[in-house]
Amino acid sequence: MSQQIPVSALQAQCECIIRSLGSDEKTAHRLAQMGILPGNHLRIIRIAPLGGTIEVVVGQGQNFALRQEEVAAMLCDVVAMPLVSELVIAGQNYRIRTLLGGKTFRRRMEKQGLQEGDLVQVNNTGEKPFPVHLVESGEDVELGEGEAKKIIVEVTAGGPHS
Amino acid sequence: MVPTPESLTIALGAIPNSGKTTLFNRLTGASQSTGNWPGVSVEKKSGSFVLGEYSITLIDLPGTYALSPATKEEQVVHDYFLQSPPDIILNVVDARNLYRGLGLTLQLALSGLPMVVCVNMIDEARRQGVVPDVKVLSQHLGVPVIEISAKTGEGIPELRAALYEVIKHPGKTRPPHMSCPPLIEKAFVELAENITRAEIASRLDPTFLAMRLLEDDRPQQWLQNDQVTTIARRLRQQLEQTLKTSMPVACADCRFNAARGLTLEAMHRQPVPEDPLSKTLDRIFLHRWVGLPIFFLLMLLLFQGVYGLGTPLQELLASVFDLAGSWLAQIKPVTALPVWLQSFLLEGLWQGMAVVTSFIPLIALFFIFMSLIEDSGYMARAAFLMDRLMHCLGLDGKAFISILLGYGCNVPAVMGTRILSSNYSRVMTMLLIPFTLCTARLQIFIFLTAIFFSPAAAPWIIFLLYGFSFFAVISMGLVLKLFNIGGRPEPFIMEIPPYRLPLVRSVGFRAWHELKDFLSRAATFIMVGVMLVWFLIHMPIDAQPASDASWAGHLGQAFAPVFEPLGIGWQETVALIFGFIAKEIVIGGLAVIYGGTDPALLTGHISALQAMSFMLFCLLYTPCVATIAAIWAESRSIKITAISLGSGLVFAWITSFVFYQAALFLGFH
Ligand SMILES: Nc1nc2c(ncn2[C@@H]2O[C@H](COP(=O)(O)OP(=O)(O)O)[C@@H](O)[C@H]2O)c(=O)[nH]1
Ligand SMILES: [Mg+2]
Repeated sequence: MSQQIPVSALQAQCECIIRSLGSDEKTAHRLAQMGILPGNHLRIIRIAPLGGTIEVVVGQGQNFALRQEEVAAMLCDVVAMPLVSELVIAGQNYRIRTLLGGKTFRRRMEKQGLQEGDLVQVNNTGEKPFPVHLVESGEDVELGEGEAKKIIVEVTAGGPHS
Repeated sequence: MVPTPESLTIALGAIPNSGKTTLFNRLTGASQSTGNWPGVSVEKKSGSFVLGEYSITLIDLPGTYALSPATKEEQVVHDYFLQSPPDIILNVVDARNLYRGLGLTLQLALSGLPMVVCVNMIDEARRQGVVPDVKVLSQHLGVPVIEISAKTGEGIPELRAALYEVIKHPGKTRPPHMSCPPLIEKAFVELAENITRAEIASRLDPTFLAMRLLEDDRPQQWLQNDQVTTIARRLRQQLEQTLKTSMPVACADCRFNAARGLTLEAMHRQPVPEDPLSKTLDRIFLHRWVGLPIFFLLMLLLFQGVYGLGTPLQELLASVFDLAGSWLAQIKPVTALPVWLQSFLLEGLWQGMAVVTSFIPLIALFFIFMSLIEDSGYMARAAFLMDRLMHCLGLDGKAFISILLGYGCNVPAVMGTRILSSNYSRVMTMLLIPFTLCTARLQIFIFLTAIFFSPAAAPWIIFLLYGFSFFAVISMGLVLKLFNIGGRPEPFIMEIPPYRLPLVRSVGFRAWHELKDFLSRAATFIMVGVMLVWFLIHMPIDAQPASDASWAGHLGQAFAPVFEPLGIGWQETVALIFGFIAKEIVIGGLAVIYGGTDPALLTGHISALQAMSFMLFCLLYTPCVATIAAIWAESRSIKITAISLGSGLVFAWITSFVFYQAALFLGFH
């Protein structure tokens, strides 16, 4: 389901497929000319230190700087996001795409039973520590918010966003 | 098609960061000249080179993403192609960024004009093991495609040979095929038929014209054929209603679909790997916590590099001029002249030359450092970091650097606005720079605060003046934005290029051409300004210079009622006229006016409050004739130059008035 991503949910590692460039014609025109078009994947690399401006990578290659409002105006299909994100819907399945962070972090997560490729659910978003349900093993684990932020999950086929 | 005169025009078109400027320098060497495209502050560069028996004029078009205009630059390129198509197009694409580059390439190839495409940065591509197959590209585009490296010079002889071949045997070009949705295709065909039937004389392909017509908001501006433009407008409306997208977006979609396919084929489906160096460097330079401190550190280095090195050089030049001036004043042929003529030669002409020369080290250093920052790719990062701060003024982060450098000297800062990405930013920034507290103004302030305030208070006054200058820049920015001066801000979408090692050659070229440009475009203006001031101060001949009997004195007295409510007497008004030449000489001017040699005697003539009001006025009114000259040379617009002059004077007057009257009201003297 295509949606507009609210400004507050624009975080690093969010990825979506652009469906429409938004209603401002001038911006849409300019985006299109630079090869940023509906159908392209757009992934947020980072937010500027002062906020407001974000760096994205579009398609396979080029990096761009855009303003938040311009991305927020686009219609997108969300593909991936950090586990701590208002885009994550409680009680739905997500697949772990990447564990950001070093070896120790991975080992710690593995001990908890979390690996890349696993299916997870978040039950009550907003709670601390962060409860995560492991779909395959049926276990529940609790993560620190900092840990959950480093877990990038993607939407599964037939999931809530498709 | 191509006639066989001895001289031909080749237009160099490419998207930004593809190495267009580097190639331009390679091909034309030192034979370059700069100007503006008519009516806009977009730089126009052209150069020449010889190709066999032909003499070629190479025009460096502004870097643009497409011919369907979304920005002023694109408008310029669009108008150029439609109104005076070049004999040959030379297009550059970055081998590592084929997809994005090919969007424009396809549009250009469809024009039907003879064309050669260079795949640039082949050295870099080879190092990464991703070399595009130029045969595939050439086959699809229907034009010769050459691998080059503008940096190392590889492939340049082949490029020249290919251009020569295209001139010699123009042949019929075969525009590339691009598949669009059937509805759009049909519209292209229908419109192209109408264009052919209307017998519009153009070297451009009818289908290309049809595409331009359908994407253009105001086709009647370049096509004087109501019948065709009416059909175009009708077709566009129908298409936009059915497809539910605007035509430029729909056309970009076709174009980039074709570009994507072509890239895959030319790269033999091999993906271009990420640039690991850029990724690592960005982790540091754009880091959430260290990114900004590094930025400010680099800005400090930049500022020190330009002014720390430049100011001593400037002073050195000034003392050389002084020495030479006093030597000239003694030699026979000069002393034999009438006194007024001696004064004109030494204090008018010679002084003017001294002012012009004093900018040379600053401008050279300024552009050396700016090119380093720009060519390395850091400029885009700086823009990203500072964007939020400048956004409220409708500017992007690059403008921050320009304004910051204004705190050293306004002249190179104004010249540097040409690196900004939109017309709006350039105009806004060049109007804001004059409100920065440049070092010349600082000299006045240091001097006046030292004689009017206690040593403990003086630094605070200077600090307050700096603060006020920031405030002035921001509030003036908001006012200018409100009045839409410079048009509407453009959407900020900036490509972030990979980091690259700047070429010494390119940096040197840049500095050299900017200097040449300054001397040819701004120097005359400065000389005229300085001499004008000389006349005001020294005429009539029998009057004591700068006295109440001189023209400047008359002018000061005529304006006395205007300046009186600011606490500024006619003598200081004359000093302000001096300040028009260069702020440095205001102090000397005051000494001359009060007829003494020791300017510290000033305390006997004006109060501290009046001095403060005078300083506020100095901070805000027109910086100096050289800045005005630079603004004029950059904008080529009398209107913008006048706005700059006017806004400075009005703002200065209001500020001093409010300050002085409020202080009097509060009981200060
Ligand atoms: N490695 C490599 N770098 C290049 C080449 N051509 C240009 N560059 C670099 O790419 C950057 C952008 O070049 P420039 O000519 O300013 O691009 P423009 O924006 O298209 O005018 C500069 O740092 C150049 O030194 C090339 O052939 N090889
Ligand atoms: Mg360039």
